[in-house]
Order: sequence, then structure tokens, then C-alpha cells
Amino acid sequence: MNLMADIILNVMVAFLFGSILLGFHRKVMARVQLRPGPPIIQHFLHSLKFFFKETGIPRTSSMPFYISITVILCSIWVAAVIIGPVNHGSLLLLFAIYAVYKIVEHNSGSSSGSPYGKMSCVRAVFSASSELPLFAIIAIIYLQVGSMNIGSIVAYQDINGPLIFKLPLVAIVLFILILSKSPYSPFGITKGKDIISGYETEHFGLLRGYIMLSESISWYILSWVFLTIFFGNLSFLSYTIGMLVIAFLIGLINATTPILNPNHSVMSQISIAILGFVGSLLLMFVVF
Amino acid sequence: MRTLVKYGYLLFVISTGFILYSLLFNPVAWIVYTIAIVFIPLFILSFGLITMAKPKKDEEEGRVQEPFIGY
Repeated sequence: MNLMADIILNVMVAFLFGSILLGFHRKVMARVQLRPGPPIIQHFLHSLKFFFKETGIPRTSSMPFYISITVILCSIWVAAVIIGPVNHGSLLLLFAIYAVYKIVEHNSGSSSGSPYGKMSCVRAVFSASSELPLFAIIAIIYLQVGSMNIGSIVAYQDINGPLIFKLPLVAIVLFILILSKSPYSPFGITKGKDIISGYETEHFGLLRGYIMLSESISWYILSWVFLTIFFGNLSFLSYTIGMLVIAFLIGLINATTPILNPNHSVMSQISIAILGFVGSLLLMFVVF
Repeated sequence: MRTLVKYGYLLFVISTGFILYSLLFNPVAWIVYTIAIVFIPLFILSFGLITMAKPKKDEEEGRVQEPFIGY
């Protein structure tokens, strides 16, 4: 297949799947809280709807940064689609993309000039200090497999079985990372409701739809990475079921857990990362 | 806002051109990656700039240069 056609197809699949999964996640949360909740396709419809809404630019925003930061957000997740599903490239590059994503969160908040955005941009720095150690757990995968390349990790699992049975603590830590990225997450301090919508507060209309599109892609990519590095080469159906299970579990957790305050959130995530890292090393070198 | 819409049309033409170029002529991988990372997001943004609802002429100043309210 033509490379560009492959990339466009994967970006479209990522957006469609990601937005449906986010809608499903919201539906699960609603049902747990005994509400009917919006239809599952609501997130998808909202993303498209905002492209036809009137868009204003706040006087205090820093143009053209206010708009270009949304382009950068989309660019980094398109790059993640290329590294992940298209190329089966390096996990290290995905780690770098996640690091840039935290910078984008920070800058998106500061570019609007809104105090809610600025508060969120400070919290993005906090959360980067806790989410990046969570993602750094991929070092354990390197110790086990001897490669950071997703293709090699999949090949390793074809011979030795799924990594989730060898590295369960690493799987838990990466699951916490996906949890912290989800809407209404207990660790979602950058978009906590005490600061309205955090760094997205002043991005409305077209730009909000654009951000939602990027978030749908990011949700798909994180789920895809989790399933691929812990279960290996899966069929389309297995990926679909796996992503639905992840969205369901995270919806369940988010519906029953309050949002932590920034200090608790950061300390919990760092503690989980340290426990996961040390525990995995002990499992690798002492138990197995 | 009208300037933004003009830029929207310009970006739409440029990004469509680059994407079609890599679809039709299949250049080397790194050029396709660069075009994908830069021009797919710009294509989506420019599409949005073209399709978004525009304010009426007499309301434009108040609607577009919206000051912050509520705090």
C-alpha cells in the first residue's frame, strides 16, 4: 500500500476508534453513576460539530501561538500513529512524543492567557514529573526483550508468549499511565473541574473540536501500545475487544474515584512508578 | 477573523497539494513522514477554518474579540 495512504487510513481509524472508545468510557461512567449518559457516538459527533461552530480568539491570548499549539498537538499524535501502528517503531520515540505532549499541555494553557489555563499549565509540569516516570517503566521491557522496537517486542512474544505474564507490574504501571490520561481521571489534575477545563478552557469552537480529535487519536494510540507490547500481534477483533476492556475498566475506576489534589496525584503516581520499577526488577532477577 | 479564513483557504490548497503529491508520486519515506506530520494537521485545521460559522458583519468585533468574563 502507498505509504501516505497507509498513514491517512491509520489516522482515520485512530480518530474513529478513539472517539468511539472515549464515548464508551463516558457511557460506562454514566451507567455506574445510575445515569443514562450520552450516546456512545457523542464524543465523535461533538468533535465534528465544533468544526462548524463560530470560533473566537480571546484578547489576552498569545497569537499565533494560541492556534499553532493545537496544530502541534495534532502533529505529535500523527507522528505517534506513524511510529506505532504504521511502522512498529521504537518505544523510545513514543516516550519522547509523550514528553512533548506534556509540554504542549503546558503551553496550551499558557497561550490563552486565562488564569484557568495558567493554573493548568503549572499542573502540567507537576503531572509531567509523575507521568514521565510511569512511562519510563519501558526500560524494564528493554531489559527483558533486549530491544525497544515494537516490531522486535511483538516477535519476542510470538516465541515466548505475552509479556503481560512476565512483566505484570510493568503492565499495571502503564495502565495507570493510560488511566491518568483519561477524562475524569483521579490523576487528571490538568483538566480538574476546579479549573473548569484546564488548558482547554479558552480553546472553543473549531479549536476545541481540533483538540478533541487529537485526544481521540492519543487515546487509541495509548491503548494500541498497551495491547501490542503486552499481548503481541493481535487480530483486528482482539484489538477491538482489548480496547473496549481498557475503556470499560478505566470508566469504572473514574466513575468511582474522586479527582485527587495535585500533591496526592503526583505522589501516588511516583510511588506506583517506583514500586513497579523495583518490583519488576525483583521479579526478573530474583523470582524468575 | 477574515484574515484567518483567507489563511485557511491558502493552507487548504497547500496541504492538499502536498498530500496529493505523496499519494500520487510515492516519494521516499522520510519525505512522506514529514508531509504527514506537518500537512495532515494543517489540512484538518484549514478545513475547520473554512467550515466554521462566521459572525455577522455588525457583530464581528464583539464576537471575535471576546474579552474574558466571569472572573
